[in-house]
Amino acid sequence: MNRSRTLIWSAIALTLLALLLAACAPQAETVGEAEPAAQEEAAPAPTEAPAEESDDMAMEPVKIGALAPLSAPGAVVGGEAMREAMLIAAEELNERGGIMGRPVELIIVDTEGLPERGTAVVERLINQDGVVGIGGGYHSSVGVAAKEVARDNGVPIVFAETWNDTITSVQYDEIFRIAPLSSEVSTVDVKFMQWLRDENGMKLEKVVILTENTDYGIPAAENTTALLDEAGIASVTFSVDIGTQDFAGIIERVKAESPDLIVTLATGEASYNFTQQAADAGIGPQDVPTMCNQVSLVSDAFWTNVPDGNHCYVRRIGLPQQLYNDVAQALVAEYSARTGKDDIESYAMASYDSIMLIAQAIEDAGSTDPSDIIDALENINHMGALGPITFPINRSNTPEQAGVDPKWWHQFPDPAITIVQYQEEGQDATETTVVYPVIYQTGAPIIVGQE
Amino acid sequence: MENAAIFGWALLWIICWGALGGVVTPRIYARKDLEISQASFGGAVIGAALGPFSLLPLWVATPKITNRLIGIAIAIVVGIFIAAFALADPDNLCVANGGFVISQLANGIVIGIIYGLMALGLTLIFSILGVVSFAHGEFYMIGGMVTYFISAKWLPGVSPLVAILASCIVTFAIGYLFERIFLRPMGSGEIERPTEYAILVTFGLAFFLQYFTQALTSAVPVKAQRFFPFPRAELPADSGALLKMTPGNVTIFDAVSIPNPRFTAAVLALLMLAALLWFLYRTWVGKALRAVSQDRQAAAVTGINPDSMNSLAFSMGAMLAGLSGASLVQVFSWLPQVGIPAAARSFVIIVLGGMGSLPGAFLGGLIVGLVEAAGTGCIPDATRAAAYIPAYGMVILTLVLLLKPTGLFGREL
Amino acid sequence: MNPTALFRVAGAAAVVILLLIPLASSELGGLGPLVLSGYVMHLAITAFFYAILASSWSLLAGYAGQFSFGHMAFMAIGGYTSGLIGKFIRFTTAPSELCTDIPLFGSWWLVVLNIRRVGTIDESCLDMAKTETLPAGTLIVFPPVWASIAMGLVMGATFGLLVGWLVLRLRSTYLALFTIGFSEILRASISAEIPITEGQSGLELVPLFPAGLLGFSSTSKIPPYYAMLLLFLVAMAMMTWLAGSRFGLFIRAIREDEEAAAALGVNIVRYKVLVFVITSTLAAAAGALQGHYIGIITPNTLIILQMSLVIAMAVIGGLENIYTASVGAIVITFMLELLRTNITIGPLHIDMTLWRLVFFGLLLMLTLRFQRNGLLYPILERISRGGVAAETVSIRAAPDEDEVDVEDEEHPPSGPDENADAEAVNDHAESDR
Repeated sequence: MNRSRTLIWSAIALTLLALLLAACAPQAETVGEAEPAAQEEAAPAPTEAPAEESDDMAMEPVKIGALAPLSAPGAVVGGEAMREAMLIAAEELNERGGIMGRPVELIIVDTEGLPERGTAVVERLINQDGVVGIGGGYHSSVGVAAKEVARDNGVPIVFAETWNDTITSVQYDEIFRIAPLSSEVSTVDVKFMQWLRDENGMKLEKVVILTENTDYGIPAAENTTALLDEAGIASVTFSVDIGTQDFAGIIERVKAESPDLIVTLATGEASYNFTQQAADAGIGPQDVPTMCNQVSLVSDAFWTNVPDGNHCYVRRIGLPQQLYNDVAQALVAEYSARTGKDDIESYAMASYDSIMLIAQAIEDAGSTDPSDIIDALENINHMGALGPITFPINRSNTPEQAGVDPKWWHQFPDPAITIVQYQEEGQDATETTVVYPVIYQTGAPIIVGQE
Repeated sequence: MENAAIFGWALLWIICWGALGGVVTPRIYARKDLEISQASFGGAVIGAALGPFSLLPLWVATPKITNRLIGIAIAIVVGIFIAAFALADPDNLCVANGGFVISQLANGIVIGIIYGLMALGLTLIFSILGVVSFAHGEFYMIGGMVTYFISAKWLPGVSPLVAILASCIVTFAIGYLFERIFLRPMGSGEIERPTEYAILVTFGLAFFLQYFTQALTSAVPVKAQRFFPFPRAELPADSGALLKMTPGNVTIFDAVSIPNPRFTAAVLALLMLAALLWFLYRTWVGKALRAVSQDRQAAAVTGINPDSMNSLAFSMGAMLAGLSGASLVQVFSWLPQVGIPAAARSFVIIVLGGMGSLPGAFLGGLIVGLVEAAGTGCIPDATRAAAYIPAYGMVILTLVLLLKPTGLFGREL
Repeated sequence: MNPTALFRVAGAAAVVILLLIPLASSELGGLGPLVLSGYVMHLAITAFFYAILASSWSLLAGYAGQFSFGHMAFMAIGGYTSGLIGKFIRFTTAPSELCTDIPLFGSWWLVVLNIRRVGTIDESCLDMAKTETLPAGTLIVFPPVWASIAMGLVMGATFGLLVGWLVLRLRSTYLALFTIGFSEILRASISAEIPITEGQSGLELVPLFPAGLLGFSSTSKIPPYYAMLLLFLVAMAMMTWLAGSRFGLFIRAIREDEEAAAALGVNIVRYKVLVFVITSTLAAAAGALQGHYIGIITPNTLIILQMSLVIAMAVIGGLENIYTASVGAIVITFMLELLRTNITIGPLHIDMTLWRLVFFGLLLMLTLRFQRNGLLYPILERISRGGVAAETVSIRAAPDEDEVDVEDEEHPPSGPDENADAEAVNDHAESDR
């Protein structure tokens, strides 16, 4: 390499570096990733708060943080849906005139689905961006790690989609959750199976559970196994690494167990891969009653990946669409307009609510001091898209006093859980039949594989 | 496992005698001034096979250690291993259920054929360029992505063969461009320590292609429809006891079932393999390729341009990966990350088969397919069997590299 | 000024600046207009962490020519060893009866816990022993963090020794494949053995300074900053000394031509194993420290992406020099964070969270192809030559190189590359004719 070329290269490298540092350094202090309006040409950017030049201190924006997995190995599909819903929340708040007359700045950060990354970004939200509350959150492992940082800094987090029981059972003042508890979801699952057996005459002696070895899958499988035991139903659990593609070997083993029902507690493409490969091998949802994972409610992706997935039972968090309240209906309308999806995912709805909850708590507290916000959250009664949200088990009504399990601490007590079933091939998730619980039922379950 | 101790002791026996044989045999052979290139590995397997009963005669007689002797010893080791397993866990599905065993074998062979095809590409590249492409998995991924987008998004309804052909063209083109820009200078001596350079630069390519695809396609998993669904058929007509076909599945003898997408993929892989063999052995260019792989200088003397053979080999290798991706995109859900485990598996296969050996790659593919099937099928603990899937192949890799780095058919290092 | 002295001054200045940075942190009120938030401090700690990994990898790959892809595995071994000791080991003044008790000196016992999960709560045998068998007033002592980190180092070194010894026969490609295999097996095992390692949920580690330090709380960034900086500086000093010593000379000789080096009397086995042990110990140290600082470690730190990050940092900075590799790591850590800002050019909206890695991969390939020694190297070269024409340097440098290596052990950045440098220049001198 001759000298002139070397020099040119070093000059290019230096210039690039300088440019990057110069261009990014000042922005990085405030902006983060909140440029929602970029995709929406019509709406004004909510982050560029409607702050007119005239005001300064009083109009300083209220900063709210949000967690979402936006790049791999996180669940990017989920993260993007949550981001969209949370941006809607922020825009709505700003259209309404902000919080306490101050504009809202929503700072969404990427957790990548990694606990270590989660602690880092929560740290960043609190210490660099100076947020007063944090919403969102998808992966349980991230939630488990993030709660420690929130506690160290005394800033509240309202988790929207982290099911792991531990997150609330440690009883931190700062941690609230509007997602269901993993153990409660298992309870509904098992009650549904018992209902199939007792009320619908289905043969149910043995269940196979397929789980991913994460802290969503493992505790969920343990809970389900314990509950099935109590119900007198035998079960076998197969756990897989999350990156698994080829399930052929496992499916042969599942087949050899001749299960009466299969429960899938794996998320993402693992769930799709397993269900379709099981169908190829002749024990799919059309051969053996199968509870597919809730990712199956993303119907486009579901039918692309699992063309033989008809008759899947899917648990659905939140009320069925026909029972949506006004807030939820308005949200769905806006969400559909932006994403082209017909319905909103439960976690997207919950993340919308998590931002709105923090906003209302700030209004109620009349202060942006995190400890005041925590007080306000404990006493909140917020009409959200999920319904009226309260946190009845709190510092003035501890689990000991209330005589309940500590997992109910700061936990939204009734996220509705229904079981729906795909009853036609290619059906949209919104048109699925609600089969359980009976009060929401829109049709009878189709039970496959009965002689 | 009921009698786990039996299995444990058998394993301990195999390992201890194997180690002893591996260490002592070369010394004895060296002292007698005999050929020792095979002594270490041969001693190890012979020791593992029958322990003192085979080692003592070996050390006394010191016969020439032939491939045949090693083959017999390996067969005995595998036999002891299986027998110990069967004794230790007589109720295991792998022992007690014949239909299960045959189904697992069929699965292993079918998937092994496709693994083999992908590994063939890698070994082809290695045999000509002397380079292991760490971007092989990304070509596999791109092959699948292109096939999906053509058959499902851009030209729905078009024959899957067109989509596969397009994916071949795309991967071939990317491979060609990359070779021209990044690998060609290696030959001219412009780059010091070319092997290390090649490892890093293909690694960079993998990184780039994976994130590029992710940025373009987002992270929603996709999957192509079955290329060629089976017709519905039963043989004999009423019971289907011999053969039963549904669009998604074929069941033979009521026991062995092979899903349609896998079957299609394996047949495509076999056809491609035949085409590749024809190309390599019956066409002038193919012969030229093989000539370059055997002796670069000599080939150059006869008028073959080694540089263009490099380009051809790399792009063809990339295309073979793309082709296996194209045929598997109807079996698995496809994401930008799917290439990573697939590439890792190809590494295992070519090391096992011997780097640069075409038959080795194919045989290695079958063995890896079978080992994975055995691992997932036979490990008694249901919560662990599948969790270790990524490790099975890697265990083979480490063992081969430690015991016999040249693999099954490899040249000397 | 002569280039060596220039590097010394620059190096000293850099060290002083790094030592003074915490003064500007928000915890201490900042330095005038410069206030570094906790997040910037966090990034700085992470940057040192990657700098240790990248520079030790450059010693292994760039100097010794051992292209190992298992560096992150050693890092994880350090972190997990330290974490598992904190999880399973306690010291008590009485036997617990319910756990595995190992008597130590005096009245002290080492207790290995047996933990089982009841519902969502972990219950260890020691908790039961507290109420049942342990006499009142028994002291239960956690293993000190420094000791568990030290054990992490020991484990890192042991595995380094083992792997280094196993790969003696393997060259370049085979070595790369073997180390990938090693790393994958470790990752799968950590993910699957949930009762021990907690699997994907991650193993929690106690804070680096559980009781705080010098008035800083346990969550303060300043003590971890200095801890990681100290490790970084010690590692750099050690590697500088090694690279400039006979050790450095020998491993580079092995890299260039193993047979020739052996023929000249270099003990190949010893030096190859040694370089593995040293670099994996450094990686393990970084891993253990980072694990305790972050508070959690997961098997995802072993995925190939993480390894490629370290490789890319070293390559873009400059693979064949520990200094350029470490500076590369520091710059890239900050850059990857800054690049998260999205760009909108007219109708084109670029989500940089995704695209930054695409550009990063492209940069990696282009660096390798067109600027083999890294993007920082030309700058170093320019300074070290002080503007003298290349040809003149080649004539001057060639006879000097041996003396330089021997006489000056604590050698500045130009040292390690003097050989390669001179050779390259000679080549050009020839081709120019």
